[in-house]
Amino acid sequence: MFRFFNLWFISSLLVSIFVIIPIFTVFTSFFENTSDYYELLKNTFLIEYITNSLILLIFVLIITFLIGTGTAYVVSFYTFPFCNFFKWAIILSFAVPPYIYAYSLTAFFENYGTAFTILKNLFGDGDYNKNIPKFDGMLGAILSISFSLFAYVYILTRASFLYQSQNLIELGKNLGFSKFRSFYKIILPSARPAIVAGLSLVAMETLAEFGAVDFFSINTLTTGIYNSWIAFDDLAFANRISFFLLLFIFALFLLENLSRRNAKYHLNVRSGFKRKEKIKLSRNKSYLAFTFCFLVFFLSFLFPLTQMLYWTIKFPENLFDLNIFILLKNTLYLVSLSSFVLILFSLLSNYGNRVSKSKTLNFMSTLSISGYAIPGVILAIAFITFIAWFDESIVKLLGFTSIKKIFIGSILGLVLVYFVRFYSLAFNGIKSGYEKINISVDESAYLLGYSKRKTFMNIHVPFLRNSLLFIVILISLEIIRELPITLILRPFNFETFATTAYISASEDLLEAAAVPALFLILIASSFILVTSKYILREINE
Amino acid sequence: MKKISIFALIGSLFVSAFAYANEVNIFNARHYKADAELYSKFTNKTGIKVNLINGKSGALEKRIISEGKDSSADLYITADAGRCGAMDAKGTLQGGLSSEAIKAAVPSTFRTNKWVGIAKRARIVYYSPERVSGAELSGLTYESLADPKWKGRLVIRKSSNIYNKSLVASLIKNNGKKATAEWAKGVVSNMARTPTGNDRAQIMAVAAGEADIAVANTYYLALMLSGKKGAEQQAAAKKVKAFFPNQNDRGTHMNISCAALVKGAPNKKNAIKLVEFLLTPESQEHFTNNTFEFPMIDGVSPSPLVVNNLGLDFKQDMKTKLASYGKNQAAAVEVMTAAGWK
Repeated sequence: MFRFFNLWFISSLLVSIFVIIPIFTVFTSFFENTSDYYELLKNTFLIEYITNSLILLIFVLIITFLIGTGTAYVVSFYTFPFCNFFKWAIILSFAVPPYIYAYSLTAFFENYGTAFTILKNLFGDGDYNKNIPKFDGMLGAILSISFSLFAYVYILTRASFLYQSQNLIELGKNLGFSKFRSFYKIILPSARPAIVAGLSLVAMETLAEFGAVDFFSINTLTTGIYNSWIAFDDLAFANRISFFLLLFIFALFLLENLSRRNAKYHLNVRSGFKRKEKIKLSRNKSYLAFTFCFLVFFLSFLFPLTQMLYWTIKFPENLFDLNIFILLKNTLYLVSLSSFVLILFSLLSNYGNRVSKSKTLNFMSTLSISGYAIPGVILAIAFITFIAWFDESIVKLLGFTSIKKIFIGSILGLVLVYFVRFYSLAFNGIKSGYEKINISVDESAYLLGYSKRKTFMNIHVPFLRNSLLFIVILISLEIIRELPITLILRPFNFETFATTAYISASEDLLEAAAVPALFLILIASSFILVTSKYILREINE
Repeated sequence: MKKISIFALIGSLFVSAFAYANEVNIFNARHYKADAELYSKFTNKTGIKVNLINGKSGALEKRIISEGKDSSADLYITADAGRCGAMDAKGTLQGGLSSEAIKAAVPSTFRTNKWVGIAKRARIVYYSPERVSGAELSGLTYESLADPKWKGRLVIRKSSNIYNKSLVASLIKNNGKKATAEWAKGVVSNMARTPTGNDRAQIMAVAAGEADIAVANTYYLALMLSGKKGAEQQAAAKKVKAFFPNQNDRGTHMNISCAALVKGAPNKKNAIKLVEFLLTPESQEHFTNNTFEFPMIDGVSPSPLVVNNLGLDFKQDMKTKLASYGKNQAAAVEVMTAAGWK
């Protein structure tokens, strides 16, 4: 019995230590000497990074809020043409990572880009470039990130709207409110915790964003850390920037936690509500709702998809240059291996928390989910720095052979860092699944003579099956889209769709990036399609 | 303890198996299809397997530095002498690229014994023949890009771009830091827009009438003219002409794609063989016809697209050692940032 407890304890401890290492590494500057370049300019840089991150964050939050809650509202409360289609189709925007959205924006709007071609074909030769708006720089980054991430807000807000059901609208009617007023005064405030939770996910991803921001060469805190660390070997400055970034993230964490606390309060109320039919919109209004949803669906999904498709057809030679099967194999290999490891350890850890009720264990779990807040680029570099330091100052000192090759540039290293980054997804997912299994179920099992292990295998795992499936899909989507960690840590001759797309794009070969980008979108979409009903249901439960 | 030693044993087997295979490991920041084709040619010819890790130069460099003596990297191949020079300054490269074959092929301006140019490019000025007169252009130098007559007419990439860093580093080498700082301020005040986009985007800005002159590398125009970027860009490229600056003094700013020999390279001999292979006329022709760079060696002609549209008779700057690009890089960034060059 005692030994069994220890197994949970030790695995939780290991996970926590492992996740804390990169954070620790970022904050300790004894690994490297720092440079004293541009001492005078650093404050200017710092202000620029903070300003850019803030601008990016604020506008992305505004746009994702408007689109996310807007679509969720329309889809949850009203019927209009294709509303059941949009219910899940809107989630497809998840399949397009911000960096691929950025390529599409550039391809379409640049001088002599796709927009120019369309105008030329429609109206003949002309000087259209001046009249085509340019979506690059900060504006491009804001749009790319917003359209790729708003689904977080949509999914969570929609789930919360479903609890509220029509009763709130009726309440509004009874009070003599207009539709807009009841939305603004009643529906929105009651969904606030869900909206805040969605927005804080968006915010964390925005702060961690690398691909699109790098593509438009915007200096944010994340790219700033990357540059000062990588380009200038200036770890002290990187740490200073990291400090500000972590401040941001800490604030977000707090917000998100507060909103969760409120969410529980709301959950208890829902049994009092009854589900009612959705309201049928008048003709004009239903057209309006349709147009809005279609526009969002078009801009977030169809637009990047068709742009990539168009390029693939226009430059077909790129299709044959690529070994799609190998890329697919590599992508799926990473996805399945990481999902397996992540699920295994989060199950162990969650179960440990459940049976031991140890405060230490609980604290460690909370610590170990912080990896999600740290940008992938920084995790990857911190990992390399740490392994190098550990190898030089401990392994070699003890007379062992270097361990660097085992961890750096290997699948093992890659999966380990994915683990740190995505552990919170798996851990929280299973945790929320566990919360639905009443503790009395365990007690009944023990009464029936089940051992702890048997309770876990025969009762918990089947109960959790649906949550597990949901988590696998989430992790898979993240890993299919993941860029910086894969880019920095992958082994020789190992490419995924994401790395191939990124590398072509960074070499000014956007057309060649189209093929892997297209496949990435298609594969991620198929993951979403297969499980869309499930994603929507899981959150609702 | 027993377990640890078994682990170490397995680890060491793993490592040694890695080191003794007949292969060469390239940390590759140049991602042209043409390069990959050359590497497979090399494998067919010599039986040496080429392992690639593709990535952005910064991340690759960081990995080489962190792996230190144990790095599996043999060669680091990247565009821009500034990057190879900076790696050298960090002490991560070793000598050895000094075989007779290499020395005979590559002029000394374009190599050290730790890194060697494998293809050349020039950073030049593109102009709109409709809006820029011959008189305005006559005698144009990089230095004169700061002339107020170009106010609101110039486009160039961001200061974070390595090609710009190397260009400015060469100006610092030739004119000193103080003069270059003044120059950078002039350039910034002449810009037609806040820097955005890649080199090709600068050329297209001139074609589209957003600016009158642009600074960009030579191979981009040929790439657009080749039709590989589509009919629209081909047509756009024809609206733009190339001009080679500094013809009356030191010559046009040259840069290279370089191969650097990493310190502790496990397959040093194979690495040197590969570099020699890349410098053969056959490989050089492959480069020039696919990436539209200039050949590193004599006796190979650039792509006809380059020869016909950019011309071949221009004076290259053979005086400024490319090693100075890496050395003056920090100063270049400082100068540009201080001038408000985004």
